[in-house]
Amino acid sequence: MISPYGLDIIESCLTCKMRVDRIFCDLPTSALQSFETIKYATAYPKGAVLFVEGQSPRGIFVLCKGRVKLSICATDGKTLILKIAEPGEVLGLSATVSGKPYELTAETVDPCQVNFVKREDFLRFLKEHSDACFKVAEQLSEKYNNACHEVRSLGLSHSAGEKLAKLLLEWSSKNGEAAKQEPRLKLALTHEEIAQMIGTSRETVTRLFADMKKRQIVQAKGSTLVIRNKAALKLMATNN
Amino acid sequence: MESVIQQSCFDCVLRPDRLFCDLPSDALQAFDGIKSVSLYPRGTTLFREGHAARGVFVLCEGRVKLSVCSETGKRLTLRIAGPGEVLGLSASLSSRPYEVTAETLENVRVAVVKRKDLLRFLRDHREACLQVVSLLSQDLHTAYDRVRSIGLGRSRRSRALRVH
Repeated sequence: MISPYGLDIIESCLTCKMRVDRIFCDLPTSALQSFETIKYATAYPKGAVLFVEGQSPRGIFVLCKGRVKLSICATDGKTLILKIAEPGEVLGLSATVSGKPYELTAETVDPCQVNFVKREDFLRFLKEHSDACFKVAEQLSEKYNNACHEVRSLGLSHSAGEKLAKLLLEWSSKNGEAAKQEPRLKLALTHEEIAQMIGTSRETVTRLFADMKKRQIVQAKGSTLVIRNKAALKLMATNN
Repeated sequence: MESVIQQSCFDCVLRPDRLFCDLPSDALQAFDGIKSVSLYPRGTTLFREGHAARGVFVLCEGRVKLSVCSETGKRLTLRIAGPGEVLGLSASLSSRPYEVTAETLENVRVAVVKRKDLLRFLRDHREACLQVVSLLSQDLHTAYDRVRSIGLGRSRRSRALRVH
């Protein structure tokens, strides 16, 4: 099979092995079968824009493989990254349900496989399958939780250093690294993008990283970041 | 409080105007069975951020302030919820702790539904589940608006102007 962008496209949800681990996808067979008929499996290269903030909603995008950057933008072009969505997440959900314009911009970070479902099809699907409806509610709750978290960190953190320390701690708590003495994390984002995640400038992020390296709090090994002094990082995250 | 407690949702005249409450009669009947109506005076905390979600509060009357809090105790108002809104919904559905603190601004009347009852109710009544989905979408829209105004507002002054 020809695989675009080096992706192994999963054509059918019914045979997808990853399904059971994913909140939305783990549907009963009947719902899955009808989902199968309304979805379009598509592949996107890195840097593709799935939808733009302000656009009227066309439908939902179920992220099967790869990661997608979700951001909001000010009129002066200032960008704020809300989240890097991981496989299994459903994008454009609230806009599709409410019919209001997309509130975020979604751009692929890696080559991605995305299952697209048209708005009318999706709404009909939700009406017919209450299990799916419940899962959508769960997904929305998750997103709401994340948005509140974002409001808290943007609105109530004092300094950029505090926000960066929090972000690094959050990233290092994933993939079972949390328990380790010196957790490692892969920096998938540029300094510019990290700045956009915490609402500061690229220069500040670079300066903060240099400072943390000097103080032996973190150490960079290529694109991997090793947290050498977790206690100091935690202190940075709480103290300001 | 001067208003008489209206025990049944069937007698509620405001029902058709409200997104969540406008349910078909069989769903409404089931909802009547699981809710308990309570009155709270001004300044009551309905639930606190970080506490395990016990259930949802359907706001019948009055306004409630939703805020988030930092470790140091600094507070930021997310929004003011009005009648017809369902509070604590996302936490109850995802079985996470409440993500905000809800404090009454006036004397309020709320219909309280326990988490377990709500989950069962939503599984049994498809229409209610759809209402919940659209309510959550709205909540999410306002939350994103708030993120935008806080994160991308140019100065503290312009942020202050946008606070309602």
